[in-house]
Amino acid sequence: MDLSQIGPNIVKILQQYWQVFLLEGVANTLKLTAIAVLFGVILGTLVAMAKMCRFKVVRFFIGVYIEVIRGTPILLQLYIFYFVLPQLLPFLALSPFMWVALALCINSSAYVSEVIRAGIQAVDKGQTEAARSLGLSGRQTMTRIVLPQAVRNILPALGNEFIMMLKETSLASTFFLGDLMTSYLLVGGATYLRFEALIIVGVIYLCLTFPLSKVVAAFERRMARGTAD
Amino acid sequence: MKMKKILALILALCLIVTAAAACGGDSGKGGGKLKVATSPDFAPMAFVDTSKQGQEQYVGFDIMLANYIADEMGKELEIMPMSFDACTTAVSTGTVDMAISGFSWKQDREDNFNLSDFYYPGDNESDQVVIVRKEDEGKYTKPEDFAGMKVGAQTSSLQESLCQEQLPDCEIVVVGDLGTGLLQLKKGDFDAMAVAKGQADVFMSNDDGVALSGFQFEVDPKYTANVIVMKKGADDLTKQVNEILKKAYDSGVYGQWYDEAKELAMSATAEEVTMPDEPSGADEGGEGGEPSTQEE
Repeated sequence: MDLSQIGPNIVKILQQYWQVFLLEGVANTLKLTAIAVLFGVILGTLVAMAKMCRFKVVRFFIGVYIEVIRGTPILLQLYIFYFVLPQLLPFLALSPFMWVALALCINSSAYVSEVIRAGIQAVDKGQTEAARSLGLSGRQTMTRIVLPQAVRNILPALGNEFIMMLKETSLASTFFLGDLMTSYLLVGGATYLRFEALIIVGVIYLCLTFPLSKVVAAFERRMARGTAD
Repeated sequence: MKMKKILALILALCLIVTAAAACGGDSGKGGGKLKVATSPDFAPMAFVDTSKQGQEQYVGFDIMLANYIADEMGKELEIMPMSFDACTTAVSTGTVDMAISGFSWKQDREDNFNLSDFYYPGDNESDQVVIVRKEDEGKYTKPEDFAGMKVGAQTSSLQESLCQEQLPDCEIVVVGDLGTGLLQLKKGDFDAMAVAKGQADVFMSNDDGVALSGFQFEVDPKYTANVIVMKKGADDLTKQVNEILKKAYDSGVYGQWYDEAKELAMSATAEEVTMPDEPSGADEGGEGGEPSTQEE
């Protein structure tokens, strides 16, 4: 392979197609990620609450939900959401983009729910016991004692979930939904300079995830301050 | 109890927001629409003109054919882009009416789908050649020349079966997609790659590193033509499509379409990519912000 051509080719691709990568690709990737994580967190919180509720039947079904979502590949879930659900639920009339976004939300919710549950359960049992023996009600204990401490376990992990999801949105390119990986397919498909297009997309992904992971790391350090252990 | 009510409220809210966000998107199964699945990463058959938006952006031979079919049926065409593997899934789940994505005829496709009659994108697509790195240009002309060589071919493609039949002494290396194959060829993973002539032309117009080997496969035209994939049992649709294909063939538009598509594909690549050398400092900052428009 002629490596000397790669640099000039990358410049040439960028000159002609920079908008495809930066305006469409990055915008759609961030849009998908934001939707997935935002609704994933809302839904995930509900799922986590249901997973910890006192009804055994609810816990069982939520357990199945989480296991199924976490135990199957995202690509498979996208296929189901794209091909099967629109026919089972024709009244929903979502666009392909929204079906895929929904699939990513559901996927994210399962992971987020486990993050939240683990975050809450990681708070020492002694805290609850102490609060209860001081006369706080069950709910007060949860909202004033346990949750504030759980948040510092949960937030950095949510940051990581965001980074994970940012990379996983690349699967939306299966349906050419305009994310960064789609940009690679389109530009690579039109110019046949696939390797060069791949490098460009890779660098852009890195530019997105690297600062994010630094932010998460800083956040983790900030959150770790003042813990007893 | 109160907790549960709040929960229900939040859940309902979630649903409403998702549904609201979705409004304005395309609806599910449209009445007067012809939905066609295609994989638009395959110039010149189907690819994307990045200077355009929405349905307009899909161009290429297969898209022209899809347009023609939709016009003849009096329906509005809706292209649904997806990966090549997903195209047949879309047909069998009924997500689309048909898939037009450079499918060639195969027995297992015939068994599982309704296939249309053949359509021919022109000689360039039916001729099958072998490409090599530039330094090997024209070195291989007979099947025996390939003895012991590694030859790349797309997995379960026509080219792969041609290699098996006509280059029995070579070692076949399967590749997932042709773009990757091209990289592997240049990198030296194998020394030759079997592709359609039209494909080779696009490669060579864009990349000085590859050239024709000098060998051309002998092919029964039947196997190089393409078919349209429709759901098993959709006999009325198949009949209708076959009539339209015949009309298109008789009017002789295929060759014209293919030339147009190829020109468009080349303008997407060659025109901009082979530029005169400029002082390099000006390159990166001075794009001028406009991606060049591709000519019709």
